Amino acid sequence: MMKSYIRLCYIILIIILSSCTRFESVRDPYTLYIHISAEPGHLNPITSNEAIASSINSYIYETLLDRDYDTLELKPQLATKWEISSDKLHYRFYLKENIYWSDGKPFTADDIVYSFKIIKDPRVANAPLKVYYIDVKSVKKISPYIVEFTYAKPYFLALEICGSIPIVPKHIFDDGTDFNIHKNNRFPIGTGPYKFVTWNTGKTIELVVNDRYWGPKPDIKRIVYKIIPEPNVALQMLKKGELDVMALRPIQWVRQTNSKHFQESFYKFMYYQPYYNYIGWNARNPLFKDKNVRKALTMLINRQAILDSLLFGLGTVVTGPFYIHDKYYNHDIQPLPYDPIKAKEILHRAGWSDSNGDGILDKNGVAFKFTLTIASASKFAERLATILKEDFSKVGIQMDINRYEWAVFVNKVDKRDFDAVTLGWSLSWEGDPYQLWHSSQVQAGSNFCYFVNAEADEIIEKARKEFDVEKRIKMYRRFHEIIHDEQPYTFLYCTPALVVVSKRFDNVIVHKRGLNYTEWKVKQ
Amino acid sequence: MEGQAVKMKYYILKRILIIIPTFIGITCITYLMIRLAPGDYTSLRAGVEGELKAGSLSKEIFEQEKKLYGLDKPVIVGYAEWFYKTVKLDFGTSRKDGRKVISHIADALPITLALNILSIIIVYIISIPLGIYSSIKKDTVQDRIISLTLFLLYSLPSFWVALLLLKYLSGGDYLNLFPLGGLYSDWFEQLNLFQKAMDILWHLILPVVTLTYGGFAFLSRYTRATMLDVINQQYIITARAKGLSEQKVLFVHAFRNSLIPLLTLMATMLPGLLGGSVIVESIFSIPGMGMLAFESILSRDIPIIMAITSISAFLTLIGIFLADIMYAIADPRIRLEAKQ
Repeated sequence: MMKSYIRLCYIILIIILSSCTRFESVRDPYTLYIHISAEPGHLNPITSNEAIASSINSYIYETLLDRDYDTLELKPQLATKWEISSDKLHYRFYLKENIYWSDGKPFTADDIVYSFKIIKDPRVANAPLKVYYIDVKSVKKISPYIVEFTYAKPYFLALEICGSIPIVPKHIFDDGTDFNIHKNNRFPIGTGPYKFVTWNTGKTIELVVNDRYWGPKPDIKRIVYKIIPEPNVALQMLKKGELDVMALRPIQWVRQTNSKHFQESFYKFMYYQPYYNYIGWNARNPLFKDKNVRKALTMLINRQAILDSLLFGLGTVVTGPFYIHDKYYNHDIQPLPYDPIKAKEILHRAGWSDSNGDGILDKNGVAFKFTLTIASASKFAERLATILKEDFSKVGIQMDINRYEWAVFVNKVDKRDFDAVTLGWSLSWEGDPYQLWHSSQVQAGSNFCYFVNAEADEIIEKARKEFDVEKRIKMYRRFHEIIHDEQPYTFLYCTPALVVVSKRFDNVIVHKRGLNYTEWKVKQ
Repeated sequence: MEGQAVKMKYYILKRILIIIPTFIGITCITYLMIRLAPGDYTSLRAGVEGELKAGSLSKEIFEQEKKLYGLDKPVIVGYAEWFYKTVKLDFGTSRKDGRKVISHIADALPITLALNILSIIIVYIISIPLGIYSSIKKDTVQDRIISLTLFLLYSLPSFWVALLLLKYLSGGDYLNLFPLGGLYSDWFEQLNLFQKAMDILWHLILPVVTLTYGGFAFLSRYTRATMLDVINQQYIITARAKGLSEQKVLFVHAFRNSLIPLLTLMATMLPGLLGGSVIVESIFSIPGMGMLAFESILSRDIPIIMAITSISAFLTLIGIFLADIMYAIADPRIRLEAKQ
């Protein structure tokens, strides 16, 4: 009985294996397979702010202006040209005619007016986007192909904010159903080079070339986003040829993708994106009130060594609040040196010494003890915290570590309930330091470390109204100096994106803005 | 006899009535816990793990959005509203994607059920014979080898085994026998019905292996122990004394009686069928109940958390209820009076 049972299992196994492997090699060369690590909730550019959704949407939806891939300057997309009134409050856009949504209906000014109405609608759950449109007073249709935005006050980013308004088709969404749960949130209809085809929940999202697209048609006919949560499995799939594009983790970049065979089949690209991470010192805590103490803390952190050991040197140490490749970044400023001896001196001068001999610095009877709050899922933060704890204890500073799940972590930061915190900022291509550094934002904005500085406030306010780039560069570089002097954060790194792309494709160019699938050519 | 039947009816009615307050209690506590836990969906969207979007925190607008989802109301009012809707079988929509909670569960549940039922069947098919064998060969070399192997398997962490299986059996660097995760192939649509079934089975093999290998130890030890209990009973000695063959003694007399605790073990698994393993699901890219529950808890997606909790609370209560009734019917020694 047992024998026949085993035989049966064996036969079944053979049938399974033989019936399945047969189809494997059927793969259309014009299909691009891209790895995504999590499934986006939906693909509505107004209500979704997930990074994955935005990257998919950038091939489906378009807006009035786009950033050039190389110069990063604004250039027309759905608009042909724009006019700015002399008081810098009115922005008039002239739209391209004969643009069609992928379902065949024409694109007009009504779609923009509708999209703006939705963005401002209090019933629509899009808080992260609403913040940007607070100062946009109205959007008026002048003619079917002319719209005018009115700003509440002059602002140098107004053109970008107006020009990058997410636009959804009015004829699809304006049907009386709740916008937040509209069925087309998961079946987007746009004007872009690709159109949405299907969504296999938990598996793939598929796009095909949009026949009605106004611009040059891309060579890649079909894009399939594959949802693979486990990065190791995704790398296996890539090696097996089931994926063409994947973002790597530093360890995969350094250790697992260097074989000759891999180099022959894949390009490896490293490019920077507007981002930096940091340790923020809550200035409301008496320990961190004195900027000299904050400076000493920075000098106790061996930033380059940590970069080399935790991130395999993949990144650059930064000194200030702008993206390192942004024009505003002040390259004259050097990072504070790693110098524990000098740091100890500074602390001593600031009044911190071990007067009771317990091994911990104290001042007026208060010991130098604090807690670093980290997000528990971040492996980098975890390792960083361990190193800091060790290094600080050598000079008599006791640091404890509090790990919180992300939801709780955000809540703690939002409530300003922390001593020190480590986090990253993802920035936009052209930054405005107002939300992060202006003193008005200490209560309800993103200035949760209580950075308050009169000169900085003045620069931030003036720069918002300054339309001359050169003058703004000067102002922001001064602002960078102030931040460096005050050290509200210990700035850490700008880390690059690490991307592999199959050599099945040609013309794969790394622009300042990153990769652009629409220009890739399939090798014959 | 007549009196017994009336008592039985009374007992069942009482048990059903107890289910209602218990259910309310469970869901109420769950709701309280989620609402009182720090963090909410809206402020979470200010960024992803360890990285915030510049300038995305604005209290005023966040408060406005919370109102939209009734999160500004007192917790108890929120619970009452939720309960009222749930009684009408309306579980609401997910915060993440605006889809109906029911359709989320309808997507994930069959996958998880298939995986769990398959693995339970396999665990039972393999562990029970092993357990019986060990009990017959008690304290011999074979018994020791079996327990050693099973405990070794039991102690292997599943994420490690899963990754090894994928690397060596499906990575292509070594062997290329199985797919690298997912539930069906990209060419699924072109297959006929039989091939479709085979395709899904082919995809399920590695996940099922990962889910089962750790389960053998417990069940086979359990079988072994209950078998040994029964074998030492006097009626087994009687059976032997009657001159029955050893096979008959073991399988007709001993094994049947040792089955009772095994069956009750199965009854307690009813709610467990719904739960998925987050590790197995994420490594094999399977969108099942484990990931759904895990992600909804992390993102504070209250409607989904509440739906999953209430469904499993309901099933647990029904499971306990059925088990008790079956006991009462099956085992005449359990006196209903004692429960009054």
